[in-house]
Amino acid sequence: MTNEIYFAEINGKEYRIEIFSESRVVINGTAHEIDYKTLKQHASCSLLFDGRSFEPNTYQENGGWEILLQGRRFNVVVEDERERRLRMAAGQTSTQKGKYTLLAPMPGLVIDIQVKVGDEVKEGQVLLILESMKMQNELKAPRDGKIAQIQAKDGDNVERKETLLVLE
Amino acid sequence: MFKKILIANRGEIAVRIIRSCREMNILTVAVYSDADRHGLHVRYADEAYHLGPPKASESYLKSDKILEIAQQCGADAIHPGYGFLAERADFSQACLDRGISFIGPKPSSIAAMGDKQVARETVTKANVPVVPGTEGQGDLSDEALLKIAPEIGFPLLIKPSAGGGGKGMREVLNIKEMPGLLTASRREAESSFGDGNIYLEKLIQGARHIEIQILADQHGNVIHLGERECSIQRRHQKLLEEAPSPFIGDDQDLRDKMGEVAVQAARAVDYINAGTIEFLVDNDKNYYFLEMNTRLQVEHPVTEAVTGIDIVKEQIRIAAGQPLSLKQEDITMRGWAMECRINAEDPFREFLPSTGLITQSIIPAGPGIRIDTGVYSGYEVSPYYDALISKLIVHEESRKETIARMKRALDEYRVIGIRTNIPFHQALLENQDFLTGNFDTQFIQDSNLPLGGKQMDQSLPEIAALTAVLATHKRTQHSAISIQRGKRDTSNWKLVGRWERTKD
Repeated sequence: MTNEIYFAEINGKEYRIEIFSESRVVINGTAHEIDYKTLKQHASCSLLFDGRSFEPNTYQENGGWEILLQGRRFNVVVEDERERRLRMAAGQTSTQKGKYTLLAPMPGLVIDIQVKVGDEVKEGQVLLILESMKMQNELKAPRDGKIAQIQAKDGDNVERKETLLVLE
Repeated sequence: MFKKILIANRGEIAVRIIRSCREMNILTVAVYSDADRHGLHVRYADEAYHLGPPKASESYLKSDKILEIAQQCGADAIHPGYGFLAERADFSQACLDRGISFIGPKPSSIAAMGDKQVARETVTKANVPVVPGTEGQGDLSDEALLKIAPEIGFPLLIKPSAGGGGKGMREVLNIKEMPGLLTASRREAESSFGDGNIYLEKLIQGARHIEIQILADQHGNVIHLGERECSIQRRHQKLLEEAPSPFIGDDQDLRDKMGEVAVQAARAVDYINAGTIEFLVDNDKNYYFLEMNTRLQVEHPVTEAVTGIDIVKEQIRIAAGQPLSLKQEDITMRGWAMECRINAEDPFREFLPSTGLITQSIIPAGPGIRIDTGVYSGYEVSPYYDALISKLIVHEESRKETIARMKRALDEYRVIGIRTNIPFHQALLENQDFLTGNFDTQFIQDSNLPLGGKQMDQSLPEIAALTAVLATHKRTQHSAISIQRGKRDTSNWKLVGRWERTKD
């Protein structure tokens, strides 16, 4: 049997979600009737929730889920009971992450790498410029950190999801 | 009338042009690069010919190859769409030389308006007001530009001499940051247009971008089809356009005056075919000539919706030598129209382009809705061309009703597999200043629109959390079943059967 109790976290708020069956879940102690149907590649699904109809898009990004719902984005980190126990034992919070790997979000040409290995960078700081779709796109640091590794160089043609640099 | 038209373009605009041709019983010829073999324009056209590798310079900009194809397949006219060869005087001339009709203006008009410096001089002579700047002073060095800048005054804009669409454009707030911005602008202009020349222009604050659509035939008739409001821009790229302009509203005098000035500007370069005069309009309703686009515009459908005129058909009739069937007094604007440009860009990641496979596309439908697109489910968005994947145009009686219809349409629109800027448009349509028509060209940059708007259904985070859990659960079940396959005491057939039903 797989684990049926999960913990989901959005912006520091935790949801304890227990899956009883395909049509019944309990969220933070309250029971709900559901019907969940997925379409191609899990990106689009239809969710009936106590009779209300929702159509979230789900994407896996950097170890968590990105849910697009009614024009909004929710970043959700999900754990099952076992993962949670292990993490608690190790004394980490779920949002703590080790390395962040900057992947090319699309194929393009590396125009200008603005940092070097060992640089301390601030959240929002421009790391490099990638040209794609005729536009120069600034790729920024998602959080504060130190540049551990740089894998691309100016003038490189990179593929989507190719590693550009690593932040720690 | 023409028998066969070659469309020297791709994407939604090629599809748009093919549609009018078909309705006029004219055969169509598509051209495509290696990246566009699956383009909708290739499928819709009567004939399609390969151009070359994905890079525009090796495909859609290869004028000789395109002309050769046109001659070999017997096309008697070429429609350039927008971008690529649309505003190249040498291409228009080359068509003439080979006896093929170019569906657009004469080479001399393109040259006059395409060189923005000549354009300013020409329209100034025709008593059309222009924005202060260094256009008309030749290609100046960085040193010269830095010297002139304080005379024009800050803030100002650095603009590439060749091309438009916001590429290479930079806003300068003070002299200190100017040298770096000059370099960046030249670099982007060089890579986008192969021409690193730039000029300066005073930035009119509180300015609205309002443009007038004109039609001119070969018999000296020039009319205008009213205005389009195009102030909603991000990094100088238009995102949402509407007609009429809420700023002009029922000021019919201003509309007539701007229309007349636009007609004068077109006459000043002996203009033939469809064109657009772009104006900046300040808070006091002073208007300045910005530039003329000597081609079909991306946002032409909003004008089509309110005037009932098919601009592409008019272009074809004009190029075939027919006189305009309409006079200025026949033109009326009925109701309100709005267009959202749907781009493959992620508004949650600072509008980074998003490429890849569109696994599913469900387009909105119902009363008053038009979609111009070149993509479909199963289509792969490539990084080679611009990010515009479709245009959503709606038409209703009033602006308020138009916005309600647009919101409904955006809610229906599903594009799965790649990210789009639909959430941006949804947020914009909730904004109070947008709703009251209180915005200028800086609006998007200044307003810092909260995506998702202000009011939120309180149950949404819970729904999102549940969705993520269900997706995780489904995945875990999947792997658990494959691991435990041999150990289960039930029949594996039954398991497989259940997976056939539940898997995506």
